[in-house]
Amino acid sequence: MKNYAKKISKIPALIFLSIVFIISIFPIIYIILASFKSNAEILTSGANLLPEKFITDNYVKAWTLANFKLYTWNSIYMAFFIVIGSIFTSTTIAYVLQRGKFVGSKFIGGLFLSTMFISLGTSSLFPQLQVAKLFGLHTSLWGVIIIRVLGINVTQVFIAKGYMSTISKEIDEAAKIDGCGFIRIYWNIIFPLLKPLIATIGLLSFRAAWNDYMLPMVFTLAKPDRAPLVVGVVNLRNSGEAASAWNLMLAGTSIAIVPMLTVYLFLNRYFIEGLTSGAVKG
Amino acid sequence: MEVSNPTKLTVNKAGLFSRFLKVIKKDDNIPAYVLMAPMLLGFLVFTIYPIIYVLRWSGFDYDGFSQAVFIGLENFIRVFTRDSSFWNSVLNTFIITIGKMAFEIPLALVLAVLINSKSKVNNFFRTFFFMPTIISMAIVGIIFSILFGSYNGIVNVLLVNLGITADKINWFGDKWLSLIVIILAAVWSHYGITMIFFLMGLQSVPKELYECADIDGASPIQQFFMVTIPMLKPIMQTILMLAIVEGMKMSDLVLVLTNGQPGGQTEVAMTYIYKYFFPTDAMAGGLIQYGYASSLSVVMAAIIGIITIIYLRLSKNMSEV
Repeated sequence: MKNYAKKISKIPALIFLSIVFIISIFPIIYIILASFKSNAEILTSGANLLPEKFITDNYVKAWTLANFKLYTWNSIYMAFFIVIGSIFTSTTIAYVLQRGKFVGSKFIGGLFLSTMFISLGTSSLFPQLQVAKLFGLHTSLWGVIIIRVLGINVTQVFIAKGYMSTISKEIDEAAKIDGCGFIRIYWNIIFPLLKPLIATIGLLSFRAAWNDYMLPMVFTLAKPDRAPLVVGVVNLRNSGEAASAWNLMLAGTSIAIVPMLTVYLFLNRYFIEGLTSGAVKG
Repeated sequence: MEVSNPTKLTVNKAGLFSRFLKVIKKDDNIPAYVLMAPMLLGFLVFTIYPIIYVLRWSGFDYDGFSQAVFIGLENFIRVFTRDSSFWNSVLNTFIITIGKMAFEIPLALVLAVLINSKSKVNNFFRTFFFMPTIISMAIVGIIFSILFGSYNGIVNVLLVNLGITADKINWFGDKWLSLIVIILAAVWSHYGITMIFFLMGLQSVPKELYECADIDGASPIQQFFMVTIPMLKPIMQTILMLAIVEGMKMSDLVLVLTNGQPGGQTEVAMTYIYKYFFPTDAMAGGLIQYGYASSLSVVMAAIIGIITIIYLRLSKNMSEV
């Protein structure tokens, strides 16, 4: 009887949770379903969730006519190099700061930390673009890749440092006695032990790279063909033909979010852990 | 490092140099700096250099083409006395940050408490509550501009069909309505993360406390206010800190969702500054003003820095339970 009463008392909570559940998935579902509607249907009957007739024509058009084939490719290669690069740079910096005994280690650690309190936000875009111009990278996604890979992501470094502090230092010392140098200890001994950390950092940097907007937008202002998906979708919306290309924009938006969602649905546990652990430790 | 021996104070230059080499070769100095070199360089060029850039050019009248003219504090005088649009954008930044926090933090806390126990249903809710946070802020801007579209947006259609409003609302034609949509979009895309923070905080609350409260006859609601909330103070400090800093730096969402419209009334600080660096016809008459943009950046960075320091001072006692 008591058990029964307990179950009844949970119903208001379940209703509330279900409402929030609907609110959190509705916008995504709506956009994906609307991307299968014809342009006329989108413009006249926004209220229907399901399309009257499922058409895939929008995707074909977006892919071939509206350059989304190119945007997708740009997104993939930009994200690929940022993920690979960030894994190396973040773990290396974390290893040096966590294990290295060198002059100035406290100063350098403090320097990284202090920049968390100086927030330039969008103001750093222009100076970064100026630097890239010196190397001729200001109209290419390589500028974005280099900034994201070498420009030190403090959150990722903190996650990596936290993980490395759980690896016993006796391993390093044993290797040192066997004549292993500082760099070889990292490459041959520590790095192979970092698999779970590499997965987390890989996911975090993939999300950041795939979703990035301002930096790639600024770097592709002069050459819109080089834009990644997110920038491409926004450009399409801001262009004069927005109303006639409503269906292409919806298809493009779906192309931009579905890969992320797929990865998330399979690996959501790692996403959630990774995105929160770094911020708390930082 | 070795403590220098007082009797060896008079060493010749060669001796000093060899001792310097010894210090350098000791420990991991060389390999450590070799490993760090690319990242240190990147850090200097992409993080430190922009700071120096805005500090330097904030004193100049500089458009990137003609000779830069040093004008002292003139840019800052202009910021503080003649640029009411900038202060309007700063005010909008505050409104959005506070509005988002007032809405998001209670929501996330309640959700976290409701799905705290481990079960399949709760796991399901957790996964989907977190899902919006993995979508790009710029895409969130597009999604919400479609949902709240004035002619065929589904929100308007629902409101009219349910009889809540008589006519379709022009969400992006009014400053306050636009700000509300921005806040809703910001909450939608971020409450999942805040909820996970609260869940982490709840896990650190000892179960015995609830058992004791149960024995003392405290109701679930009393337990929530007398046990849960006080125990969540440390995580709350982190959540508020992140919410403030991220709110003040908001840019992508506003740039895509309203782009400052109508008439520049929904501009936030970061989008306002951005438009002085990358001018369009709509603002600043399309004139490039790197010097003035730099001084705006310095002022905004100072505002964020001061707020951060004040917050850390005020919330000092929150870090301990």
